[in-house]
Formats: sequence, C-alpha cells, structure tokens
Amino acid sequence: MPSEIDQSKGSKTESGKSKILQRLRSAIGSENVSIQEVDKVAYSRDYWPITFRWLLEGKIFTLPDFVCWPSSTKEVSDIVKIANEEKVPITPFGEGSGVLGGAIPIDGGIIVDLKRMNKISEINDQNLTVTAQAGINLTNLETELNRKEYTMGHFPQSFYCSSLGGNLSTRAAGEFSTKYGKIDDMVISLEAVLPQGEIIKSKNTPKSSTGPAVERLLLGGEGTLGIITEATLKIWPKPEKTVLKSYSFENMQDGLDVIRNILRKGVFPAVIRLYDALETERQFYQFSQAKNRCMLILLMQGSEELVELEQNVTENLCKEHANDCGEEPARHWLEIRFNVKEAADFAPKDVIFDTIEVSATWDKSMNLYNSMISAVKKINGVFYASAHASHFYPQGVCFYFTFAGVPVKTKPEDFYRKVWGVAMKATLDAGGSISHHHGIGIMRANWLSAELGESLEVLKKIKHALDPEDIMNPKKMGLQIGKN
Amino acid sequence: MEKIRKNTWLVKLIVKATLSTKNQLVKSLLYSEKKYLPKNKLEANAKNVLKCALCPNMCRFACPVLKAEKSEALSPSGKTRVAHLLEMDKLDYSRDAVNVFYDDVDCDACKQWCPFGFSVGELSVGVKRDIAKRGLAPKALLAVKEKILEYHTVYPERITSLDISQKKKKSDLLYFAGCTTLNKRKEIAAATTKILETAGVDFTVLPEEWCCGYPLHALGFQKEFQTFADHNLKSIKETECKTIVCSCPSCAYMLKKIYPPGKYEVKHAAQFFWELIKNNKLSLKEVDGEFVFHDPCALSRKLEVYEEPRQILRSIPKITIKEAYFNKKNTQCCGRGGGLGIANPALSLRLAKDRVSQLKEISTSVVTACPSCELALKEADETIEVLDLSEIILAALNNEGQKAR
Repeated sequence: MPSEIDQSKGSKTESGKSKILQRLRSAIGSENVSIQEVDKVAYSRDYWPITFRWLLEGKIFTLPDFVCWPSSTKEVSDIVKIANEEKVPITPFGEGSGVLGGAIPIDGGIIVDLKRMNKISEINDQNLTVTAQAGINLTNLETELNRKEYTMGHFPQSFYCSSLGGNLSTRAAGEFSTKYGKIDDMVISLEAVLPQGEIIKSKNTPKSSTGPAVERLLLGGEGTLGIITEATLKIWPKPEKTVLKSYSFENMQDGLDVIRNILRKGVFPAVIRLYDALETERQFYQFSQAKNRCMLILLMQGSEELVELEQNVTENLCKEHANDCGEEPARHWLEIRFNVKEAADFAPKDVIFDTIEVSATWDKSMNLYNSMISAVKKINGVFYASAHASHFYPQGVCFYFTFAGVPVKTKPEDFYRKVWGVAMKATLDAGGSISHHHGIGIMRANWLSAELGESLEVLKKIKHALDPEDIMNPKKMGLQIGKN
Repeated sequence: MEKIRKNTWLVKLIVKATLSTKNQLVKSLLYSEKKYLPKNKLEANAKNVLKCALCPNMCRFACPVLKAEKSEALSPSGKTRVAHLLEMDKLDYSRDAVNVFYDDVDCDACKQWCPFGFSVGELSVGVKRDIAKRGLAPKALLAVKEKILEYHTVYPERITSLDISQKKKKSDLLYFAGCTTLNKRKEIAAATTKILETAGVDFTVLPEEWCCGYPLHALGFQKEFQTFADHNLKSIKETECKTIVCSCPSCAYMLKKIYPPGKYEVKHAAQFFWELIKNNKLSLKEVDGEFVFHDPCALSRKLEVYEEPRQILRSIPKITIKEAYFNKKNTQCCGRGGGLGIANPALSLRLAKDRVSQLKEISTSVVTACPSCELALKEADETIEVLDLSEIILAALNNEGQKAR
C-alpha cells in the first residue's frame, strides 16, 4: 500500500454513513448520489502513474463512500456544508486526468464530480470572454468557441480528457501557452465554494486594485481550499492565419539562446518547442535535417500582419544557427500531439515511464537540464532520460523531462519514487521550480516545503482558517497540519 | 522497415544500458504482461481491454453515453477498467458492474480519437460474451433474446420477408431490407424496390430474411447470433448474388465485417443508389425543400460511407442540404446503436433527444440513411420530419416535390 494512503481516519460507522447518505440525497436528489461499488471503484484513482500499478495488480487501496453529481453551485455548497457538519472529507473531481494523485479520495468520504456542471452561460464578443461552469470538458468548451469563431488557445495534452475546473485547480498550461498564456493568465473571474460552504464570486473586470485577489487562492489550490464552480476566461477571435516552421540546432544551448532572443524582440509564437537530441530521434526520426540535432517547432498564429512579422523575426534569428526543416516536422507534431500511448504500451511490461515538468529562469536553465538528466540516468534501471522545452517566457523556460526504466532488484513503485526523488532534488539544487503546470497532488507533496519555505506554513494557516475541519481534499499538497 | 527506423533510438539505448538493466528489461518485456492478464481464455480481448484501461480516457469528450450519463464507470476507459478488474477476478460481477457494458451504443466515436484504433463498443462485445457465458447477462435482455429467437427479429410484428412473391430466387443483386425496415419502416423497402425497378435493376430478396443478428452480437449472445448468421448465409448463397444491398447500415456492417466473407460485395443502399445516379440510370427531378443530413454512425464510421449520401442529395435539383455541426465521421449517435434501445430505452431516448436538438439547430427536416436512426429521432421529437434517402430519391423520380414529406 502506498505510504500516503491510510484509511483509518475518515472511516465512519455504517449508521453514520446511512445518515450522511440520506442528507446528501435530500440535498441533491437520490439519483445524483451513488454508493454503488462500481462507481466507488471508478472514483478510486486518477491518472497518477502509481495508480497504473493498482490497476495492473487489481488492487484497490481507497474508495470513496459516496459519489455526488451536483448540478449547481448551490448544490455544491449544500454538499460542503453537510460534509462540515458530518466531518466527512470531500474530494472534488473533474475528469481524473491529473498525474500526481490530486483527485484520489485518500480518506474516503464524498467525491464531488462536477460533470453535470458543464454549461456555457455566456460568450461575450465585445469583452472577449467566455463564462462556463467548471465541469465542462476542455475540448467541448473549445468546440463551442470555435463554432462561434473564437478560441481560448488552451490546449494541454489532456485537452480531450480534462475539465476546466481541474485545469484551474492545477494552474495548467497548454501547448499554445507562449502566445495565449497559461490557464491562470486567462482567468477574468471565478466563482467558488469555500470549505465551509461560502460562495464567493469575483467581479468581471480586466483588472482591479481592490486588495489581494482572494479568489486567486483557488487557482492551483487542487481543491484543498474550495471547489471552483464557474469561471470567466479570456478568449480570442479565431486566428486568421497559422504558420508552421521547424528548425534544427546543434545543441540545446544554441536553440534556447535563439528562443530567448525571439522573446526579447517581443515576438510570442503560440507554440515553441525545443527537443533535445534524444527526443528528436524518438519523435522526429524521419527528418534527416534533424539527425543528431535538436528540433525546434514553431507555430505562429493570429492576424495576418502579425504572423508575417513573427515569421520574419523568427526566421532571421534562426537561420544563422539552425537548419531550416520546413513545415513538415511541425505538422507531424500537430498530428501526433494527442497520441498518448506510453502508459498503455509500457506499464503492462513493467517498464516505468513518466514525465516531470519543471521550470527555471534562463540563467539556471542549462544547468537544470544537465543536472536533471545526469541525476536520473545514474539510477540503476533507467535507460531513457530526455527532455524538451515546451513553454517559454522572456525570463525563462519550462523543461518537460521524460524518463523510462525498469526496476532492477526493486519494486516498480520504489523505482518510480527513486527517480522522482533525484529529479526533485536536482531541480531544487539547480534553483528551479518543482512543477511548472502539473501541480503537487500526493506525489510532489514531500518537496513542497523545500520549494515554498515559510510560504507553505502561511498556506497551512490559510487552509486551517478556511477549513478548520480539514475536509477539503485532505492530505494533498502537504497541507495537513503538523506534517510536511 | 519503418518500424525498425522508428525504434532505432530504443535499440541504441538498450545496447548502451548496463548489464543489470538489460537483463531486467529482457525479463520485463518477455514475462511481465502475462501477470496482468487473465489466465483463462476469454472472449474479450484482454490485452486491448487493459491498454484502453491504461489510457487517460482521451476519447471521453466524444462519448455520447458519458455526455448523457454521469458516472466515470460509464466513461470509455472507465468501462475497460471495470472490465479488467472483472476479468482478473478482482471485482465482483455485481449487477451494477455488469450493467455498465450494456449502456453502450457501439457508435465508434471513441475509435476516431484512439491512437490504437480501439472501439470501446467493439471491446465491450467480448466482455458481454464472457458475461453471457457466465450466465450473468441482465434478465430483461435474456427475455429479449428469447423473443428474437422466436420471432427471428426483435419486432413483435414478426415480418421476415418482403412481399414480392413473383421474384425469382436467383439474381446478381440481393436486396436485404433488414428487419427494422421490414417491420417498422416499410416505406423504405417500397421506395428502394421502386428505385431498383425504375433503374431496370434485376434483384431478388430472401424468402425468409432473419434479423442480421446485430442486437444479439452487440449484446454478447454469440451462439445465438451464429444461428442467425448461418441461416442468412445459407439463404444468401442460394441466391447466387454478386452484390447485397442493405437499407440498414448495421445490417451492411454485419454482413460485410462480422459475417465470414462471401463471394459477394456488400453495399449500403446509399452506395448503390449513387452508382445508379452516376451511371445515369435514374433521372432525378426537382425536390423543393431544405434538409439536414444525419450521418448514422454505423454508416459513416463503421463503413466509412458519408460522401455518397451527399453526392446523391446534391444531384437532386433545387433541394437544399445543410450540414449538422457534428457530421460525417464526427456525427453523434441517435441512441439506438449497440442495442441500447433494447438494453436501456430511457438512456437511448435521452441520446436521441440530444442529437435531435443538434439537428434542429440546422433544420427540422432530417434526411438520413438508417431505419433505426429514423425511428429514434422521430420518437425523440414528433414535430420533426425524418425521411430516408430512398424516400427523397423516390420523390425526385416522381417529381412530387413537396410530397416527399
């Protein structure tokens, strides 16, 4: 059993459970509360790779006691109030694609699945905003925007399988983030239910100077400080033009330098991705201009004049240091970017495969890249360690590391944790941030103290003030009192 | 060769790996998977079920059942996760666990987004066969199965032949109307035979046309399905046909992809009608009206036929054809696929209502090419007009314009 999971706490007597069930049913309707075993099993995990092991071995370590499907913010609030009174934990659930264990109901209790809260209430052309409930699937949201000639420009790899609320709660980033920003950059306002059932709703304004933005605590809160129920977000007119370009560089440093200079010019291509030589060989083996080199993928989109300008600037800066690989590699990336096959291919063969995304300022970036790769490679059993840089800022970069290995004389789970351990240490030692956009959940909780320092203690105090009964997604992000 | 090039990086890495890593890797690649697959032989493709179960559910946004339902257990990978646990004897075959596989429309929306090309509907067929073998199929469905065995169709009208007694038994072309057409949408059969006659096509029909077996197949009643397939195959053989034309896309799918291959080609009526029109065998006159075309999922996705119906409609003078936003291979199921209309009529109706609302945004007059879709859409909303492609063609032949409706 994973060390984090200890069901001894949240357990309730049968009569206690039956009372809670009655209360939940009368709050949101019998048909919207389930205690069926098959439903509980379906909500026993998310997409944390440790849970692949659970599935393979057919082990179920934790089950919720109730699964609830509220249809309104008021109903979410009612559930939260019941949970407070009954002292039963709540785990908010979007679409369960998180990779750090954030949606696993460690202490059982109530799953609040927001699936039924998937309505778009307004697309405002003049303000360029969309207002939608948090349970909406990202693809379905973007499709509705596209139908009306808009885009949100948010395309994480979980675009097909994640909810708006889940993205907001982890401060997720999409592949087009260099132009459109991360999900937290897109937020205009939020509505949320706080841990004691209070409903907060911020104003739709482009910017305010009205004290700290309380609602922003919920961004990246992973459901520990409340449940986001609705958001108003920035949208853009559907781009007039999209241009694809690819270049290959001799090494990562050359590529990073060119990208840094592109951004210094104030040019922000929607997609910038730089793959190290190993990843280039894996993903772009068919393009000979990139053999033993580092592939750069660019996608520029927007109004025609802007795209033309971006194309000129990037071309001028790239051509001195790079081989021009044309459109094809970028097109290839566009086609395969949502083909998520690794877990299905490798997990049943006991080959452990995972990705770790971290960030650093430019001055620390190459050191972070090198030390991370060498630290992970040193672990016995690791046969693959590579990275691409996938999100860029004038100040720095996000590296997305991929590793694969086999557990030599150790259990798969222990091997997995060992890799994560050295990766997190290497990141912290290099002065990077331990997560760029996947979040903390269970897996990263142990390193959050080293990342945040005293700020974690402040966060714990805030958590305790808002959630004195510690019912909101307990034991996530290391926020439990008295424990790191 | 391509596969070798694609995996060169991996081979190079393995060569470079330490000896202990190499040993472990070989051991893992050779022996691990067996531990995670059921020991006994099953109807379900356990390996693909597990692969699907390990996906983050990348097709979930397109699943019409999940759109109408709530539980993760009914999401595409949610189902295969339950299937894996059942098959590994890690979860009880409770009624609730078994039921998730029958809340399925086998519409292949998932398949469009799957890097492995899996259809959860098709994977579930194997799971349902295993459930049936264990004697755990839902009782209501066992009763339906008995009725099908008795009636040779799912419909109590029990009509199993087209009343064209003067037809000779042998012909190059066999018209397989399908039991939904025969029992519930006779207008399609009437229009189709009229079109064939007008084009001067000699054809025959089966004297005893049993249900193609799709519901039995989809619900996992494999043995019984085989009886139906055997009956129809024997009867088809006697016609010595070279082509079979089906009004129902599910029949065409069964005859073409699930029945063993025969010495004939199987076509949906839309394909055959388009050939007739292309070869100037039919002269189509004006039809006045504005229609939206609904792509049946068995036609557009399982058979990949979506251009022919549009070519037919475009060849009719004056008619206006509009597109639904979710169309062609991106269509949304009417709710009757996979036997859902039998297994869970309430859910089936909700799916139909959702599809109707999408179509109504475009037009309240719908043309499609599947009798089951037509019944489903009409049941969901009586106010809309739903026509089969054959009925539109017939109207164009008769130049009856508005009378198409």
